[in-house]
Amino acid sequence: MSRTCKLEGCAIDELGTCALEQDPATCKNRIGIVAAEVTPTAGPVEPGMPDFGAPVLEQPTRSVPFPSSRPLGPDGLNRMMGKQYVNLIGILGDPESGKTACLASLYLLVSNAALNGWKFADSKSLMAFEDIARGARDWNNGTPPDQMTVHTEMSDDYKPGFLHLRLKREADGKRFDLALPDLPGEWTQALVSSARTDRFEFLKSAEAIWMFADGRTLADRAKRSALIFDLGQLARRLMTFLGDHKPRLLIVVTHHDRHPLDAAVQQRITNELAKCGASAQIMPVAPFSDAPEEVPSGHGLSQLVDASVGLSSENPIFWASSPPKDGDRAFLRHRRDR
Amino acid sequence: MTRSIVMLGGPDSGKTNYIGRLWHALDATGGSLHAAVQPTEVAFVKGVINHLFEGHFAPRSELTDERRDFEVIVATEAGGPQTALVVPDISGELWRNAVTDGEIAPDWMAELTSADGALLFVRVDSDQNVPALNWVTSRNMLKKLGVEEDPGIPTQTMLCELIRFLQVSLKPRLDGSKPRLSVVVAAWDLIDADAFEKGPLAYLTREYPMLAGRLDDLNDIEVRVFGLSVVGGDLGEPDFRDAYLDEGFDGHGWVAMHNGSNWQKIADITLPLAWVVGT
Repeated sequence: MSRTCKLEGCAIDELGTCALEQDPATCKNRIGIVAAEVTPTAGPVEPGMPDFGAPVLEQPTRSVPFPSSRPLGPDGLNRMMGKQYVNLIGILGDPESGKTACLASLYLLVSNAALNGWKFADSKSLMAFEDIARGARDWNNGTPPDQMTVHTEMSDDYKPGFLHLRLKREADGKRFDLALPDLPGEWTQALVSSARTDRFEFLKSAEAIWMFADGRTLADRAKRSALIFDLGQLARRLMTFLGDHKPRLLIVVTHHDRHPLDAAVQQRITNELAKCGASAQIMPVAPFSDAPEEVPSGHGLSQLVDASVGLSSENPIFWASSPPKDGDRAFLRHRRDR
Repeated sequence: MTRSIVMLGGPDSGKTNYIGRLWHALDATGGSLHAAVQPTEVAFVKGVINHLFEGHFAPRSELTDERRDFEVIVATEAGGPQTALVVPDISGELWRNAVTDGEIAPDWMAELTSADGALLFVRVDSDQNVPALNWVTSRNMLKKLGVEEDPGIPTQTMLCELIRFLQVSLKPRLDGSKPRLSVVVAAWDLIDADAFEKGPLAYLTREYPMLAGRLDDLNDIEVRVFGLSVVGGDLGEPDFRDAYLDEGFDGHGWVAMHNGSNWQKIADITLPLAWVVGT
């Protein structure tokens, strides 16, 4: 029996067809039809008398949503990439390695016009940035979600997704649309420890990958070796997973204000990555500085953005020159070797 | 043909006082736009204008939920084509809530989607202005220290979101061209001569860098920035107030507009609306 029909076995609500093959608008078994027939015969309600046929509760007015400015899901990102060129950046790093602080500081830099060489132009996820800078994003009280956000309509739904930021480069006025994923650090741990790559398919479209390393750990002689080894393992996973696609690797070392990176440690990181044939640019940053007189908050982030959108170190030569040789019938053999 | 123009802005951004002053200017027929027919319903604007006549600004309309529309038929010249305008005065609180919640009541959404132009208000030195987060406040919030009182959504973030709302809702103008947006920086008489020379866009770039960047990046809406002083001075200054009360509105109130080489005060308060209405 359907909700709007009294006849046993009728599934008019589910299937849209009447079990007695009658017109649903006139079938006597329909609950709505009976009510509609009874109510009008009651005639106008006399003043002072309760209207028994009237709805008990007034229908609440539903607000109309605007397109969300929360994190974009993979579909939303694909739509955006279909319309314009997007610089997708991969962000990887252990929990507490400073990923969120870096995103918050980047937002604070653009909102205070302090990102050297860059100006804010647009963001389709402005409220998500605002939430991040306010510490309002908390992976469900320490239980990180397992999937990317699949919908962006619910404003109170904190799920991993991509943050969009369009920046204008002051030097040439060129605009860059950055897509920055906001993901739990546990995902990176699962990538390193058990090669779980299914959630990182987007990295195959990334222009640059930020690999976060906690500067405090690198300054600690007892702990730094494990972190350097992990960075090597992560690079190895990425090399295997990404195959021929070679995004720029940037190792973002946080806490530069209190723990500036030692040259010897930097060399050890470079050596570790070289073991798997990877190379990375090392970017010291201080999203929030404890010593703002010496190292201002947001230090290193404009260089990080510069490096992320700059030319790849392994860019193929666009139009390789091939000097002609005498007598090799160049015209007939043109491009035969391709 | 009835057209709808929406007025947006946060709390205390000067929308209501502009409507009151605008009605007086439209009625006076000396500006770019004038009222072709006396509106049927003027109780709301009359209430606002009475405050201005008495030498003080209308109180904030933030707590008013009821809808207040200013409906008027305007024309750019005597006997010229007429346009019926509906300019709803929506409280800044409502816009702020719309940004926070990401949604709006259906009738206001209908208003937005039927409009082909808008006026966005920002007020100089408003005590309702919420500055952008800084590193100290944000760090305390991130660490959940609980010592920071949440200041709310920063004004420039709210204004950027309001522009996004306009992008998704405004319809093209009748001739198929892009919808228009006048950005009005109210209380422009409060800034010094140097800032006046640089103009309201330079002020927005300094005070609300994200808003300025957003305006620079807008491709689907035509934007023009105006400075505005509804009575031409600070009613809190006794000398100005005395002169103003003696002389009335006439000769008071101006719009700062760029004439191609520098910023000028033009005693035509209708200009931001006239540009949005266009010809």
